[in-house]
Amino acid sequence: MRNLLNFLLKYNNLIVFLILEGIALYLLATGNTYHNSRIVNGVQGITRGINERIANTRTYLNLREINSGLASENTSLRNKLQALRQEQSLSFIDVNDTVAGQKYRYTTARVINNSVNRQKNFFTIDKGTRQGIKPDMAVICGNSAAGMIVGCSENFSVAISILNLDFKLSARLKSNGYFGSLTWDGKNFRYVLLNEIPQHISVNVGDTIETTAYSAIFPEGIPIGTVVEPKKSGSDFYVIKVALFTDFKKLNYVDVIANLQRNERKELENRFQ
Amino acid sequence: MINSVLRLGLSGILLILFQILILNNIQFSGYVNPYVYIMIIMMIPSLTPAWLLLIISFFTGLIIDLFTGSPGMHSGATVLAAFSRPYVLRIIAPRDGYESGSALSLGVYGIKWFFIYASAIVLIHHTALFFLEVFRFEGFFRTILRILVSSAFTLGFILLLEYYRKGR
Repeated sequence: MRNLLNFLLKYNNLIVFLILEGIALYLLATGNTYHNSRIVNGVQGITRGINERIANTRTYLNLREINSGLASENTSLRNKLQALRQEQSLSFIDVNDTVAGQKYRYTTARVINNSVNRQKNFFTIDKGTRQGIKPDMAVICGNSAAGMIVGCSENFSVAISILNLDFKLSARLKSNGYFGSLTWDGKNFRYVLLNEIPQHISVNVGDTIETTAYSAIFPEGIPIGTVVEPKKSGSDFYVIKVALFTDFKKLNYVDVIANLQRNERKELENRFQ
Repeated sequence: MINSVLRLGLSGILLILFQILILNNIQFSGYVNPYVYIMIIMMIPSLTPAWLLLIISFFTGLIIDLFTGSPGMHSGATVLAAFSRPYVLRIIAPRDGYESGSALSLGVYGIKWFFIYASAIVLIHHTALFFLEVFRFEGFFRTILRILVSSAFTLGFILLLEYYRKGR
């Protein structure tokens, strides 16, 4: 105690100086919009740089896994290509359909900031409006649903993760096509809940859950997860526990899907609502 | 004692009024912005405890801030100048030290001493102030030029006022 008092006595001028200087800087930062924005921008620049560096390291450490994932994706794509070629050669017709055009456009992006331990999780990717990313685009990881873009800057975008209490997605059982709405209960990052499936149909453990085309955001049939535990609640509907395919703990490279016909469809639908 | 405190307070108020009413309205290129109110910090006698000096300087700066609409800028710079004043005084102390209770003025210690004293304080204050104002290091030399030009004008005003005080 005495030491503390001695210390305070010895440096009292310095302490008064620091306090007053602190007040002045606080006033400077809060009272002037110019200084405020400079400070906020500076701090954000620092954190963004750090985030990017962390993401870089993590990518490097996960290279082996990413490589094997890419290889398996390559094989499956090659298989599909072969299947398509076969079909075409059977009918001897080479169709170049320019009228219908392309419906979805894929853009690869890297996740540079991510969280799974909050109630409202978001992740940041390293592409933005300059690369053609816009809000309301779907984000998939590998071949399973991961989230949806909610905001973009020039070079970055923020996506709402499936692991967010505010996120709702229309999803269906692959086996029989019954659809319900998918939400997260905020408890475990590996499981989500599928509601509104009526109880008169049978749901088996291991059934695949996939996206529907109702939202005009996700393409139809993107896998989400498998049924772990269909629970009959008091009401007429199941509460189905679904294990996610996407491992949000190691989200790294994602694909952003733009629905090129979304505006056309929305305009038409809005006319009748 | 009471008399000298009153006189100090009065000249402080006059200096602040001079600053707000006249000098702040000078629109003479972006380079000339004299801030003569810093003379208040120089006039306070050497016996004053440092914490009192700091608090006086903070409120002086705050008043100027309120009238220029830039909260924190002048108070920050003035507090820094007041904090460095004891160190400046120690470095440039005359051979036989300071007489206790005497005013730190041109009349007592001579023109050479006062000029060094005033330019040190003014430069510290203006450097802090102008960098707080632009708040960036881009255009560094332009800011330095503004500091030097404004300091020269401030020093000129201060010397004039000191000669006036001495003459009375």
